[in-house]
Order: sequence, then structure tokens, then C-alpha cells
Amino acid sequence: MTSSRQRILITGLILFGIVIVGFFGWRTFHAFREFRGHRPPLFPAEGAVVPETDVELIRDWMTIGFLSKTYRTPPDLLYKALGIRPNGNEHKSLKQLNDEYFPETPGYVLKTVKAEIQAWLPPPTEISPPTKIPPSTEIPPVSP
Amino acid sequence: MSDFLLTQIINYGAPILGLVLFIGALGVPFPGTFLVIAVGAFCRQGLLSWPVTGLVAFIFVVLGDCLSYSLGYYARDPVLRRLSASRQWTQAEKSFQSWGGMSIFLTRFLITGIAVPVNLIAGTGSFPFRHFLLYDVLGEVIWIFGYGGLGYLFGTQWELVSDFISNFGGFALGLVILGVGIWLGIRRLRALDATKSKTQEFQ
Repeated sequence: MTSSRQRILITGLILFGIVIVGFFGWRTFHAFREFRGHRPPLFPAEGAVVPETDVELIRDWMTIGFLSKTYRTPPDLLYKALGIRPNGNEHKSLKQLNDEYFPETPGYVLKTVKAEIQAWLPPPTEISPPTKIPPSTEIPPVSP
Repeated sequence: MSDFLLTQIINYGAPILGLVLFIGALGVPFPGTFLVIAVGAFCRQGLLSWPVTGLVAFIFVVLGDCLSYSLGYYARDPVLRRLSASRQWTQAEKSFQSWGGMSIFLTRFLITGIAVPVNLIAGTGSFPFRHFLLYDVLGEVIWIFGYGGLGYLFGTQWELVSDFISNFGGFALGLVILGVGIWLGIRRLRALDATKSKTQEFQ
């Protein structure tokens, strides 16, 4: 390899490396900040079933069957809300269903499914205010 | 592409994951790490069985790696016919014999973007297959069960883990490229210095 070619290759590698490090370093830093604020959810007791309750985690690659398992929601309820039949649609994602049945309303299936699941989920239980602890009373000294 | 693959995995389970990882190990740019973490989360949700899925994914990805190693191995003759006389090839082959194991191990789970070129180089440079398989298996165990385990641990929050790990992989690749560039630069400067001092001695 000639000297000038070597120089171009080395300069190119260093510049490309700097660009990649800068780009992914920035993204890694942001991802880490997001990630640091979350703790892994607790594992339920043996055999206990804990359905997901956050509908904001629903994505349009999910299928109705997957959502009904994750959120413990009857699939028929979701199909009924969309006005479509389950037969032949079991393996289709929400995006595919949208493209097939509601092509003029992008995001309709996702929005409807989120709303339906939210309505189906039990309302969040209120946390009762902490009970007041009465001030301690002095114990009189025991007379001999 | 990622969304389509996720839909197929939740529909058909472990066989699709195995197939995707096998094809990915041959060089098709599928988002393997992203899928492994997602599948860990699906296992936690009870959608897939983690021992079966983990085993299928592990077997298929190791088979894919072995196949790409063998592609390099059988392409050895034409490559050698062209390059065996060059000093650079001999140097590259020598350095792969000493650093090859670590490269194979790290590219299985940390710098996954260059895993396929490393497999091909290992095959072409006649890196012993038994050693290749050992480092490959060790690295893939971390990739499948370590990253899948993170997905399992974080459950429905797996996207956060995947985002962090994917970006960190890119960052590590950038560091490797930068490191190679700096190393080559230092070598070139040293060679230039040596030539200069020789010329001065001669004069």
C-alpha cells in the first residue's frame, strides 16, 4: 500500500471512529438516563397472575391474541370494539388490521384497542392515607 | 423489519426466532440483540417457554456461526492464491492467531456488528475450529441467556434495555474503529521515524 493511501485509510478510520463514538455515545448516554429511572418489576408469587396495566406499552406490531394474554382481556371484546371478525385475523398485527380495515384512518386500531383495554382494566385501588400514630404516653415507674 | 419479526415471533414462537438468528449469523442484517431481549420479556409473560426458546435460539445461532466459519474456510484457497504473497496478509493472519479468540468471544455479544466478518476471517485464516467453537459457544451463551435474561428481568419494560444495549454496541464498535485507526497511525509514525534515523545514519 502506498504511503498516501495509508494516510488516507488511517485518517478515514480515525474520523469515522470519532463520528461513530460521538453519535452512539450520545444515544447511549440518553438511553442510560432513561433506563436508570426504571427498576425491574417485581416477580409475582409462584402461580400468581399479574396482568399488565399500562396501556401506553401497547405497540402496533402486537396482535389481538398477544394483547388479550398480556392484559388478560377477552379477545372477542377487542374484535367487537373494532367491528371485525376474529377468523383469519388472529395472526395479524394491529398495523396490518389498520391497513386492511381502516386504511383511511391511520392509528385507529391502536387507539381503539388502547381505549377498550383501559376501560376493561379494574380501576386503580386508592391508597388509604397513613393512620396517625398517637403520641407515646409515659409509663409510670414501677413501685417496688 | 423489527416490527414484522416481532409479530412473527409472537405468532410462531421459538422456530421463527431460531431461523432469524441462523440467517442473521450468515450476514443478513436482522436486529438479533433486539429480538433476543424481546423474547426474554415474552418468556416472562408466559407466552414462550424460556428453556425451549433459549435452547433453540442457542443451537441455531451456533449453527449459523459454524456455517459462516466454513464459508470462510472453503473460500480459503482462492483468497490465499491472491493474497498469500502479501506481507499484510501474513501479518493479519499472525495477529488473528493471537487475538482471534478474544475477537470471536467479544463479537458474539458486545460488538455484534462485525461478528460475520470475524467468522469469515477465522475460517479463511485457518483459526482452529475447536477453538472457534469454544469461544463462539461462550459468547453466544452470554448473548442468548444474558441478554434474554435482562429482557426476562425487565418484562414489559424491555424496550428500555434494548435501546441501551443496541446503542452501547454501536459505541463499542466506534471505539474499536478509532482504536484500530490510532494503532495504525502510531505504527506508521514509528516506521517513518525508523526510516528517517536510518537515512541520517547512512549520511
